[in-house]
Amino acid sequence: MASDAELIGRSLAGDEQAFMEVIYRHEVAVGAYLARRAGREAAEDLLGEVWVAAFESRKTYDRSFPEARPWLYGVALNRLRHYWRSRPAEDLVPDVTSLANGWDPWPAVDARVDTQAVLLTALAKLKPEEREVLTLVAWEDLTVADAARVLGMPAGTGRRLLHQARMALRNAPEVAALLTELNSVKESQ
Amino acid sequence: MTVDEMDLVRQLKDDAPLRAEAYERAWTTLRAAMAESGPGPVPVPEMTAAPGAAPARRRRFSLAGRRRGIGTLGKVGIGTGIGVAAAAVAVALVATSTPQSAAPGSTTPAGSAAQAPAADSPLVSLAALIRSNGGSLPGNASLVIRTQAETGVPVQVSYNLYADNGAFYGGGDKTSLREAVNRHQNMADGIDAREVAAARYAASGNLAAARERMIDATPNSWGLGLSPAQQQAIWNKSISKLRAKFEANGIKSLPKRPTGKALQYDLDNNVWNNSVDALSAGAGNPQVRVGVLRLLSTIPEVTVAHSRTAGQPTLTLTAGPALFGGTDEVLTINAKTGMPIKSVMHGHGDVPSSVDTYRVIRVTLADIKAGKF
Repeated sequence: MASDAELIGRSLAGDEQAFMEVIYRHEVAVGAYLARRAGREAAEDLLGEVWVAAFESRKTYDRSFPEARPWLYGVALNRLRHYWRSRPAEDLVPDVTSLANGWDPWPAVDARVDTQAVLLTALAKLKPEEREVLTLVAWEDLTVADAARVLGMPAGTGRRLLHQARMALRNAPEVAALLTELNSVKESQ
Repeated sequence: MTVDEMDLVRQLKDDAPLRAEAYERAWTTLRAAMAESGPGPVPVPEMTAAPGAAPARRRRFSLAGRRRGIGTLGKVGIGTGIGVAAAAVAVALVATSTPQSAAPGSTTPAGSAAQAPAADSPLVSLAALIRSNGGSLPGNASLVIRTQAETGVPVQVSYNLYADNGAFYGGGDKTSLREAVNRHQNMADGIDAREVAAARYAASGNLAAARERMIDATPNSWGLGLSPAQQQAIWNKSISKLRAKFEANGIKSLPKRPTGKALQYDLDNNVWNNSVDALSAGAGNPQVRVGVLRLLSTIPEVTVAHSRTAGQPTLTLTAGPALFGGTDEVLTINAKTGMPIKSVMHGHGDVPSSVDTYRVIRVTLADIKAGKF
């Protein structure tokens, strides 16, 4: 089976269907990524824009990477930043992705469920880039190196950010209490 | 096991998938951008209805393939207007010519108002579900065990093995199938491969183009993608070869090339037949199933109902009588995987009813060779 990199190469030579094949392989994952960060309705509107942006920027794809999913997440993240900047604050749904350069809607999150509220509050206190690396690894099942690729940073920087994010969460009093409670319940079972 | 902060974050993951129509809409957006950036899909013209169209039904190949001598019982669609005998000749007609490639600026009658799938179709929803499940099944071949019951004919069982590399082996039982594989009796004729390729293309490609590919997977006289004059020339050439057969059947007026609605029915008939064949040959590949579902969703005469078969949720697809000249065909597929389960062709005129049931198993060629199945 041809790698994503090979298909992108073919698409640059004029084979448009090859690019559609790449989209086919990753559309569910990228759609879910968008939905987790912007809500389903917005994600459905953004998906086509992501494909167009990816198609138009495919020349920049580094074909030494066989798999294109992290690159597509990166393209999606750029579209999300545009989306967040263009939306009034009250329309924004909870998200965890806006980076330092973008508008950060996280403090507006209305956390209602106890466990979720604790986590969301703790996540809100992370630096945007820490949060992004953390959620790319936890939700999108990426390696730290691939998460760093999404964000256009060295793998070592990604590892450092993930470490910082985990330490910050672990040391947040509410999260620490929650972990203690959960683990003590497990031990008593 | 100790719960840590990463476990907690993972618990926040929300897996609500997008709706099926969202993927279709996104593809449409992308294709429009592609068309603006360079040569894109050939536009599909509206087709005009013409009076006096003569139907041309081609032979309905059964789901387990058009395999000769592997327990396959032929099914023949009925051509209305010119009678069964003429229909049989017309069947031969569309199977005699080689598909032509599209020329720049040509028409593409494989497309129609039906080229876009109905977003709310259960077929499109199932395609999205199969996509979201992702991945491919284990093994390197699909074994399709087919049981065929036809009125007045003893029940027949056939073992059809479709290898992922395109090879096809058949047998009437496990022993003969194993022998066929060990003797390398590959019976692939290229048609299955073309049908499967068309289905794979349909999974993410332009549907009008995918329909054309699927129709052209089998020899035909439509001349899809060519100019009307070229199409007519191909038709005339094909039908002239069959003049003697028509005359032998007492038919003096040779059928004209269908147009309008009649042509659309014939093309949809081809899409149905070849797609269903592809579903069998490529059942092990989720992308093939997705493509087949998208293709079938373009046929207005196909209705879909939710059903249950042997306790499992299924979809029942009925190809209406317009496609088969008065009778209909019902295909039952698994509602979660799209795998074929049963095909029923209702009797009509001289054509008896038949019921085919299917069991699709993913296997390895090595296991078949060793008799481990």
